[in-house]
Amino acid sequence: MSEDKFNIMLSGVGGQGLMLLSQTIGRACSNMDKKVITGEQHGLSQRSGSIYVHLRLGEDAHSPLIPYGEADLMVSLEGMEVLRNLEYLKPDGHIISSNRLMHHPIETNKVVQEEIHEYITIEDIVEKLEEFTKNIYMIDSLSLAKEAGNPRTENVVLLGTVAAISDFPLEKDVLKEVVKETVPEKTIEVNLKAFELGYKEGVKNG
Amino acid sequence: MKTYITLLIFMITQGEFMLIDDLIYPDAKKTFMIGNQAIARAVLESDVKVTAFFPGSPTNEILDTLYMLSGKFEDLKMEVSANEKVALETAAGAAMAGVRGFTSMKSVGLNVASDTFFTLGYTGVNAGLVLLIADDPHAHSSQSEQDGRYYAEAAHVPMLEPSSAQEAYEAVKYGFELSEKYEVLSLIRTTTRVNHQSSNVEIGQLDRTPLEKRSWKDVHKKFYTLGARARELKKNSLKKLSSIQEDFEESTLNKVVEGEGSTGIITSGVSYLHVLEALDVLDLDMPVLKIGTTYPLPENTIMDFIDGLEQVIIVEELMPYLEDRITQLAKNSGLEIRGKRSGDFGMVGEYDVPCVVKGISTVIEKDPPKDYDKIVKKAEEMKGILPKRTPIFCAGCPHRATLWALQQSIKDKDYVFNNDIGCYSMFLLEPYEITDSLLCMGSSLGLSSGMQHVLDEKVIAMIGDSTLFHAGLPGLANAVHNKHDLTLVVLDNSVTAMTGQQPNPGSDFGPDEVTEIDIEAVVKSLGVEKVKKIKAFEPQDNTDDINDCIGYDGVSVIISEGPCALYHDRLKRKQGEPIIPNRVDDDTCRSIYKCIRDFYCPAIELDMDSSHTEIKKDICDGCMVCAKLCPIDAIGSTGGEKDE
Repeated sequence: MSEDKFNIMLSGVGGQGLMLLSQTIGRACSNMDKKVITGEQHGLSQRSGSIYVHLRLGEDAHSPLIPYGEADLMVSLEGMEVLRNLEYLKPDGHIISSNRLMHHPIETNKVVQEEIHEYITIEDIVEKLEEFTKNIYMIDSLSLAKEAGNPRTENVVLLGTVAAISDFPLEKDVLKEVVKETVPEKTIEVNLKAFELGYKEGVKNG
Repeated sequence: MKTYITLLIFMITQGEFMLIDDLIYPDAKKTFMIGNQAIARAVLESDVKVTAFFPGSPTNEILDTLYMLSGKFEDLKMEVSANEKVALETAAGAAMAGVRGFTSMKSVGLNVASDTFFTLGYTGVNAGLVLLIADDPHAHSSQSEQDGRYYAEAAHVPMLEPSSAQEAYEAVKYGFELSEKYEVLSLIRTTTRVNHQSSNVEIGQLDRTPLEKRSWKDVHKKFYTLGARARELKKNSLKKLSSIQEDFEESTLNKVVEGEGSTGIITSGVSYLHVLEALDVLDLDMPVLKIGTTYPLPENTIMDFIDGLEQVIIVEELMPYLEDRITQLAKNSGLEIRGKRSGDFGMVGEYDVPCVVKGISTVIEKDPPKDYDKIVKKAEEMKGILPKRTPIFCAGCPHRATLWALQQSIKDKDYVFNNDIGCYSMFLLEPYEITDSLLCMGSSLGLSSGMQHVLDEKVIAMIGDSTLFHAGLPGLANAVHNKHDLTLVVLDNSVTAMTGQQPNPGSDFGPDEVTEIDIEAVVKSLGVEKVKKIKAFEPQDNTDDINDCIGYDGVSVIISEGPCALYHDRLKRKQGEPIIPNRVDDDTCRSIYKCIRDFYCPAIELDMDSSHTEIKKDICDGCMVCAKLCPIDAIGSTGGEKDE
């Protein structure tokens, strides 16, 4: 029995623009009359905390929350936050993440107090993720965003990479259209460039 | 083809964006919306004239959406109230006078508004009045997991309980019909996973009528209760509920999903969605009754559903509200009821698919196809290396600087610290862990009053500007009048920051013209003799003033001023002012780390190669406090230069 369900776990750090990712994919689904449901974390409005969105596509996705072990794809704007939500990943599911790490003041203070020797690294994280999947794409999205012309387009870079995944249920062009609709008019060009750079990166990594 | 220009508005919360074209779209259409926006759209479609709110998660986006749109509809009055009680009274006053009123609040907000709420249950209304409360299973952003469903029966008002964004939209529209048909307040109860669930939503026609001044002479009703009249009104309310119950038997908010076998499920709210998926996971075809009219319960619908069943599983979050009532209803039917009382489901935390799968599996004695615990356990093992990312004050937050100064003053003293509700509640978390009590809005003052009668230590209370206006002023008046000995620190950051920087009575802005109330003048006029106003972003200058207040015998108040960083950044962007970050001079930095120790700014990291401090330019807000704390002046402004 093939189920009509595609689960995406989005994560990041407050202030990175995660909601744009879920809104874009959600609107793209809505434009195509496809069922979509999310479970979003709002609440405390401070920046720099962990944030997530459960994003679910398809007729068979009823609950707003992805059951453990069922995310086909995890997309993260920050490296540590993928690992923080690992219980949601399907065995051998896809991970697309920025390779950027944002170190919390508590971690920094521990290094300063010499309670820990150094910061956690992206290699430490990938080693743990590999226990769950080999399909890990760590992307230098910040550099690509800067290449596109605005470091704040990291989220759209990752969206482009998502569009390159072969079993992702939405067409690349549909997503691009919604990006055009969603971002401020003045920034359409730079956002589309960011999208394309992310897409190319995705294609390159297969 | 007509092209529709998409308007993009930066929402007043954390730079989140919101597309408003669908919200003000004149015709029916299929769209994608978060539950709270669907609710706001239903409020607009219902031609509500007066809305008033005090912010609180998970309802903020209802307020924020209507705030943003209020300028587009001349006939819509929208206010940010001083507290939830005033908000409910504002909406109720409008409904008494003959136009529709709406308010929403978080679960515990109704505790504040409950005095008004209970009496409205007696008086009823004239035009439609809908109150939406949002419970927060898991206490994501609340002080408790309060179950608001018990309020409806206690106050004799009907209650609707939607499970999705679409149903939330429909419940609001139906709520107004019900309210006007029976002249009662309609209560809608949601939970976080409904308010913060985005989904496909079909919206309807948007037609608004002008708001014209009316005359009280046309109302022909009185809204008060006392003695014999109270008893008469109560009888009347109970009678109305019997009629409403009959209506509810026909409501489309109640749904039956046909199935087979002698075991069925009764559920409500978002649990219904978890149930549908759990049955797929378990490959079961049980009949399901989803209840959307949770008070009064549609008893005939329930009896029809259980007829022929041997066993019913009740799936609901928090307390066994449905379970206890259905147990009572079915007591002579021989039906076996499984749920919380039988130990199959829990009363703590929120539900999800795995939790519902486990509960159903236990009842029917079938192993779930997946071992969720094993997945979580394995992931937890992998996560052992992860540093914590607890909520922390933003870069540029004035509270961090105020606390730094306060800590310098109190570190050698014995004190008790009574905290309050706001961003500064985070002083209870790592790395600060400074908080001896925190109950609810305004509790810091009353608790301090009690403690100062008993304790040897200095009693310190801390409260934000919004919370002071919300529930702090009676406590302050009380402390002054009774000649108590305590120090109150007021953190005045100009906005209600934690919920998305909405205005409060001390703010200089609002959805309409406002009067900005001066906190210092209020405090002095209440009779506080020792008042010191300090500038949050000058922490070193403040320790003397703080010592002075703490050493004072009597009520002393420190008012620390400094705008919320997120609010201030937005103002700057609006005015085209750049946000200029700081930098560390590598030749000067000697890795003393004073900018890191006791300061905890998320913009400051370490460069592991040089072991010097490094400032993240995309996070730094340029508040300059770290530069002031550096003993060797190694930190300064970049002056806006780009060095990459």
